[in-house]
Amino acid sequence: MRLSQSIILLALGFVPLSMVQGETLIQDVVDSMLDAKMQQVNITAAPMADDYNILRRTTLDLIGRIPTSAEVDRYVTSEDSNKREQMVDQLLQSPAYQKHLAYDLNLLLAPAGNNELQNFLEQAVTQRRGWDQMFRAMLLGDYEDELERQAMKFVKLRVKDLDNLTNATSSLFFGVNISCAKCHDHPLVIEWTQAHFYGMKSFFNRSFENGDFVGERDYGALQYQTTDGKQLDAQMMFLSGKVIEEPQWTSPDAEKQKAEKKQLEQLAKDKQPVPVPQYSRRAQLLDIALNGDDRSYFSKSIVNRIWYRTFGYGLVMPLDQMHPSNPASHPKLLDFLAQDMSDHGYDLTRLIRGLVLTQAYARSSRYDGENRPPQLWFAVANVKPLTPQQYAAALLFGARNPSQFASEDVLKTQAEIESVHAQARTLAVKFDVPSDEFQVSVDEALLFSNDAALEKDLLANRADRLIGELMILSTDAEVVATASKSIMNRPVTKQEQRVMMKYLKHRQDRREAAVIQLVWALLTSSEVRFNY
Amino acid sequence: MTLQNSFSRRRFLGQSTLVGAGAAASVMSLDILKSEAFSKQLKQKGKRVLLLWLAGGVSQLETFDPKPGRLTGGPFQAIQTAVPGVEISELMPKMATRLKHTAIIRSLNTKIGDHGGGARLMHLGRRDEPNLSYPDMGSVMARELGRPDSKVPDYVTFYTATEGRGNAVGQAGFLGSRYAPMFLTTGNKPQNLERLESISDLDHRERADLRRVLSARFTQGRVSPALGSHNVAYGRVRGLMSSEALFDITREPKSIQDKYGPSLFAQQTLVARRLIEAGTPFVKVSRAWWDSHGQNFETHLEMVTELDHVMSTLLDDLQERGLLEDTLVITLSEFGRTPTINGSLGRDHFARAWSATLSGCGIRGGTVFGSTDEDGQHVKDGEVGAAELFATIYAAVGIDPQHEYYVGSRPVPLVDSGTEVISEVLA
Repeated sequence: MRLSQSIILLALGFVPLSMVQGETLIQDVVDSMLDAKMQQVNITAAPMADDYNILRRTTLDLIGRIPTSAEVDRYVTSEDSNKREQMVDQLLQSPAYQKHLAYDLNLLLAPAGNNELQNFLEQAVTQRRGWDQMFRAMLLGDYEDELERQAMKFVKLRVKDLDNLTNATSSLFFGVNISCAKCHDHPLVIEWTQAHFYGMKSFFNRSFENGDFVGERDYGALQYQTTDGKQLDAQMMFLSGKVIEEPQWTSPDAEKQKAEKKQLEQLAKDKQPVPVPQYSRRAQLLDIALNGDDRSYFSKSIVNRIWYRTFGYGLVMPLDQMHPSNPASHPKLLDFLAQDMSDHGYDLTRLIRGLVLTQAYARSSRYDGENRPPQLWFAVANVKPLTPQQYAAALLFGARNPSQFASEDVLKTQAEIESVHAQARTLAVKFDVPSDEFQVSVDEALLFSNDAALEKDLLANRADRLIGELMILSTDAEVVATASKSIMNRPVTKQEQRVMMKYLKHRQDRREAAVIQLVWALLTSSEVRFNY
Repeated sequence: MTLQNSFSRRRFLGQSTLVGAGAAASVMSLDILKSEAFSKQLKQKGKRVLLLWLAGGVSQLETFDPKPGRLTGGPFQAIQTAVPGVEISELMPKMATRLKHTAIIRSLNTKIGDHGGGARLMHLGRRDEPNLSYPDMGSVMARELGRPDSKVPDYVTFYTATEGRGNAVGQAGFLGSRYAPMFLTTGNKPQNLERLESISDLDHRERADLRRVLSARFTQGRVSPALGSHNVAYGRVRGLMSSEALFDITREPKSIQDKYGPSLFAQQTLVARRLIEAGTPFVKVSRAWWDSHGQNFETHLEMVTELDHVMSTLLDDLQERGLLEDTLVITLSEFGRTPTINGSLGRDHFARAWSATLSGCGIRGGTVFGSTDEDGQHVKDGEVGAAELFATIYAAVGIDPQHEYYVGSRPVPLVDSGTEVISEVLA
């Protein structure tokens, strides 16, 4: 069977995955499955975005900043038919890609405002460790290894609150939020009972904090009370309902417990890790989660999260409600990507590359027709709020003198870009991390409207800033064009040009002020605040 | 809320739900459109809340639940109030004569005895849950009592002291940052409300117009709740800037300024009154630091005297302006203090049996709900927790405590389900 043919048959559900021969490309499968579904529900997709839009979108998503004016020129003037793929691969090879992915993963995995997992994640992405290996390091890291010691912060930061640790692990890695099942059987999902919550919690009930380390005992059971008042012993049980039989164990007597306590105190004092138990319940969780049929929870969840990050909407929404009563919009596609994920060592970059090369990713976010298709068909690109780092970078790169990034000397340009990007990571603390129902706060609007420090940074009339460059241009038309390209990464429309030139003309008596205000209006516009 | 306002709210909220069409599970459902919306709005019309947050834990024994003559009673006496049979600490003579506006709840058992956990509980009305960020009382009030097109802030918090500031939660949680507080930590004025001198008022306004025009082109044919909120936020800037004068107490007559007095707590309470009067639905003024593990009686002599003065001045002022009927004034801490006096003549953290007060809007003044035993060690009758207190507060301003928000497909009631209001203190 030819590849393109088999993909279509696969999409329509006529042939099983295993029958498709040859190297299937993720992007082809995704597009054919999305297209087949759109046809089925009779939806017309938005047209393709233009080169300017695609470059800005991809650069923001992959390396966390907007393109420079020189990069824009290079991309749009290239006539290479393969230029999009080349651009993607170039971005994926950049160190900024690793930093940016690690930053997003840390936002996902660490408690709010904490970045203690970031270095581990950056190193892991750089070494191209699989998602399964990262998960293993975060759940059962080896304290002898410096990087895995950092990874163990995932458990360490939550181990004082085992309910939190249980639910964070379940939501973030398996796409299943079981917190409702803590006090009663889940009201909406018959599959989740109290036994599931306490079954999952049992994988963690022997874990504890000891000084700077997480230890685990090889004894101890978890008990819970049912809604009808019965006291039950919890068994280790995975989300699928699979129960783990464990070897016999006994609780130590009082004397042994006293000795153990003393030993732990000494270890904490000496800043030494706790010896690993012979039988680790956390290891059991890893074992069941990464092997056999049950690994689909793990692989589907990461596919759905990367999909969400790329497209701004998940194949399953909400991201932590992946259960049979809430099926995916494209179940076969999710199955395929999950299978591909586990077949290829849970390589995040492979999936990310495949998704950003789809036609679906390159569609316009603008839909002028009457019946805008619902998000779940991926017929129109979503408008995504920028993360704090993306937004800070969009502002700083936009407000720089574009010629700074246009030097013939590639190394010099590279160093300049890295330096501005590093400053953006500092500025980022001023902005909110977007959540699912993100709303821009009025504090942010007030900050941009009246804050002196921000004005000094972004709107200075200096040679290395955009305004410095604009002030030496001779015509208003050049000012408008240069500012727009630097900030919005595209040429202006006629209407925009008219409005902006009128604004400048009305302020001929105070040209510097006029140019500063123009740049302000562009920097604070909605287009800059979002990836669209 | 007027009909016109309810229309614009509807439109605003409608806009944010568009994207959810066909995939409603992802977007918080907005339940304002229920059939009883109209009567509800009438009930909530113009209601306001002013929370006096007594950070660190005020002693109930030196305020609203004295135990004179007992080993735990301390040196201060109890005095008779304007309400026959009700006594409070002699440190509160001014409140004693005004108690007819106030209900005292003496039977709180909130169980959490550390500052962080206690403060979170008394701001959220419930315990935290992983993966669901609850809104605090102020954000709920901003959402339920505020107007989307308001030119005044919906939710303002004063917290100037550094002790305990991190515990004083101000979070909109799943309601979204539209309802997050304006958080003032220095002085009486919020940041960035004043125009910089480098730009004229005309240019400030017109560059905002230019911004709006440029953004309007971009929003054509694009739909997202976050995108809508971006332009809504900028649309509120000029209005909020015009509210700057509300934070300036020198605009009050000298006689009013003198009545409140010179302390920071008093001045911020006066700003709060100005905001309330202008339509801000929720203001929190924090007074720290009540954590008197040592020298409890000196601390309380000074701080309760100030509280007595500020609270009674506030109630008088609100009443004279005809605002008390629509304004609920709350005094609340993260917990109370131990009846047992420790070796440093201090009182420690105590969440088992303590007091809070509610005055004004929706409250049956002069009532005392619940009681503690003769040493104040345990609740004797009417034990209630944070959930009951919050349900009562919501009910007092006309919000149904069983009201549910939807987060995804999950219904989340305002207070834990099955919670009963303390109807005895409601008018």
